[in-house]
Amino acid sequence: MIEITRIYHFSAAHRLVSEHLGAAANAELYGPCARPHGHNYYVEVTMAGVPDPVTGMAVDLGRVDAAVGERLLRHVDHHTLEAAPPLAGVITTGEGLARAFWDILIPVLAPDALRRVRVVETAKNRFEYRGEAA
Amino acid sequence: MSGIAYSSRRFTFAAAHRYWVDRWPAAENERFFGRLTVPHGHNYALEVTVRGPIDPETGMVINLTELKAIVNDTVIERFDHADLNADALFRGRVPTTENIATVVWDLLVEKLGAERLWQVRVWEDETLFVDYRGEA
Repeated sequence: MIEITRIYHFSAAHRLVSEHLGAAANAELYGPCARPHGHNYYVEVTMAGVPDPVTGMAVDLGRVDAAVGERLLRHVDHHTLEAAPPLAGVITTGEGLARAFWDILIPVLAPDALRRVRVVETAKNRFEYRGEAA
Repeated sequence: MSGIAYSSRRFTFAAAHRYWVDRWPAAENERFFGRLTVPHGHNYALEVTVRGPIDPETGMVINLTELKAIVNDTVIERFDHADLNADALFRGRVPTTENIATVVWDLLVEKLGAERLWQVRVWEDETLFVDYRGEA
């Protein structure tokens, strides 16, 4: 059993705002992150599998690339995250994005193969979701 | 006070490969692997992680000089500026990143022992890496 990780990139605008809070409370809670700004994001998608004895491939990376491109990157790269249809209702914190990306990808990637989604927001902040329930 | 720690060292090697299954017709190889059937190369990076207790005298999990010598002698000498498809270890085994990781694990576990070698990570380029921990 191996784990194979592909790293994708997108650039997007976002802001942190909770619809449960008023403007003042949002500004208080999220500070500068409540203002519209953007990041160069990286998304690391990790799949687990056993290398096929004939092809040597544990995962069809073409399929993964296509799924991530079609389901995810197309909607977020050079967009505002809050306006991206697949992220409707998501508070776009790093952890919120990691869980949302997992939920977007799990129907199209083999559910038993997807192991981890990691969102790298800046060089200082990274967030992981592994599909675990709270 | 003792504790288990993980020490990793990074290595690089540049190698050529192509994806090709000998017993498939050429057309089938081209249909399945596409551009990967053409011989090409990568600057691979290899991260070797050793797990173990921190020695109370030396403060080390492993002497990284020893680790460096083992990996250089066993893996880097063998694969740097080499054609992976020509290596006996890849006879009948396509040199995918997955298979490179398992081959490197097998080479290193003989020298380091399964109780010390924790993980082998092979980066094909900046967008793709494979982890192998010897699990069936």
